[in-house]
Amino acid sequence: MRPLDETETTVVFEKLFKFVGNNLKKIVENPSDEGPESTPGSYCFRLQKNRVYYVSDALVKRATNISRKNLVSLGTCIGKYTHAGSFHLTIMSLNILAANAKHKVWLKPTSEMSFLYGNHVLKGGLGRITDSIVPGDGVVVFSMSDVPLGFGIAAKSTQDCRKLDPNGIVVLHQADIGEYLRDEDEL
Amino acid sequence: METETDQIYHLDVGNLLGFNPNHRFPSAPSSREELVKECLEESRKLVQAIANALFNFTSTETNDGPIVQLPPPTTKLPREKHVPRPKPPTKWEEFALKKGIQKRKKDKVVWDEQTDQFKRRHGYDRVNDDNDVPIIEAKATDEPGEDPFAKRLDEKKKRVGKQQKNRLQNLKAAEKAGALPSHVQLAATSLPISGTKSQPKKIGKDELGDVAGLAATSTASGGKFDKKLPGEKAPKKQGKHHKYLPVVAGRGAVNPEKEQTNNVLSKIFSKHSHEILNVGKAINMYNVKKEKKKSGRSDKSGRSDKSGRSDKLKPKKDITKKPANKAK
Repeated sequence: MRPLDETETTVVFEKLFKFVGNNLKKIVENPSDEGPESTPGSYCFRLQKNRVYYVSDALVKRATNISRKNLVSLGTCIGKYTHAGSFHLTIMSLNILAANAKHKVWLKPTSEMSFLYGNHVLKGGLGRITDSIVPGDGVVVFSMSDVPLGFGIAAKSTQDCRKLDPNGIVVLHQADIGEYLRDEDEL
Repeated sequence: METETDQIYHLDVGNLLGFNPNHRFPSAPSSREELVKECLEESRKLVQAIANALFNFTSTETNDGPIVQLPPPTTKLPREKHVPRPKPPTKWEEFALKKGIQKRKKDKVVWDEQTDQFKRRHGYDRVNDDNDVPIIEAKATDEPGEDPFAKRLDEKKKRVGKQQKNRLQNLKAAEKAGALPSHVQLAATSLPISGTKSQPKKIGKDELGDVAGLAATSTASGGKFDKKLPGEKAPKKQGKHHKYLPVVAGRGAVNPEKEQTNNVLSKIFSKHSHEILNVGKAINMYNVKKEKKKSGRSDKSGRSDKSGRSDKLKPKKDITKKPANKAK
């Protein structure tokens, strides 16, 4: 386990910025209530075996007692690095993203299941959408009852969405909570 | 009177040069300043003569002023480098001289007997190419197990190798006589370039160490299983050096990890700072407000205060406040 190096931090923050924008500051400087110390620590990012974990300071201190071979996971895993050095967010970062998302999309109940199986979001399944979305932005997908279902990349801007035919792709799927069942081994 | 005793100057206008061959100092100059003054006076006259000559030429008018085409220079300047030294004759040249062999000019295109046409002597699709021979007849002297095609290739290799060796010997003889051809001289970095006083570069201890390391690892197994020479030290740690921040923040006031994250954050925010203000939306809001104001004022003059009052009652939108976080 080690803290991220500068290039690694930039890559992670860039990815997060796509989804949360200026709320990134909130994420990074979130005061944590864990641990018996009176002074609140904050959350930090740690790297263990190509995965980035979002974990509070107090927890990190205790985790240093576990050797590298035995340490499997700590805190919340937000994503993985690929062999080439680029960073992919995994579904386990959904809580953090959903709390601070800038662009949201709500799905109709009929197309929820389709998204949870890994398909992209079509215009016909779109319930509500926040405006001022630019194609290429990160979007968090919710159900109509405000339950976060996953996230993806916007394929079209909000204006273009209105003009689209019902089978056009609005959000490209990146991760959904169905992956907890499908890709149990990979998480 | 002055014109008669005017010395005739030698002017080389092509080099803008003036020379007075008949100048004599009238008396030994008493001091340095006197000498300088006299020299300056003489040179002033010379410069005047050059200027006169220049203005005598026909000039063409351009944007920058009159331009004169200078005649070619007449003074011969000394050579920068020495005359090329005679190089010793090569082995072949000696042999040819001895035997009286003359050089014959060769044609680029030669008649090929096998395919009855003209083919070029060297290069693609050449005459007598070794690869084109379909059948080699066996001679009485050939052993049964030998491959004549392979033998041909071998012989060619040997010939080429011998030629390279001879070429090297000729170059060495030329270098001894100081007459290496210039492209070879420049390529041979261990020899000083003739005409310059540059010393051959001495390699320092570190450089030698680096080169030795490179040589040691450039084997098939990366230099891992080679026997070490007596006195050879193990190589220093090679590869990237990573210095990572400590896992848990230390007790000091400065927390390097926090600084790093803050740096990265500020970089990212500044990179995307142009997106904070949604310019289109701001312009729309401003225009709408302007139109409302205009319509309100025009109505006020004609109608009752109803619209005017309603304007005052509405909460005024402050246009100076930028819409925060209304990013794209």
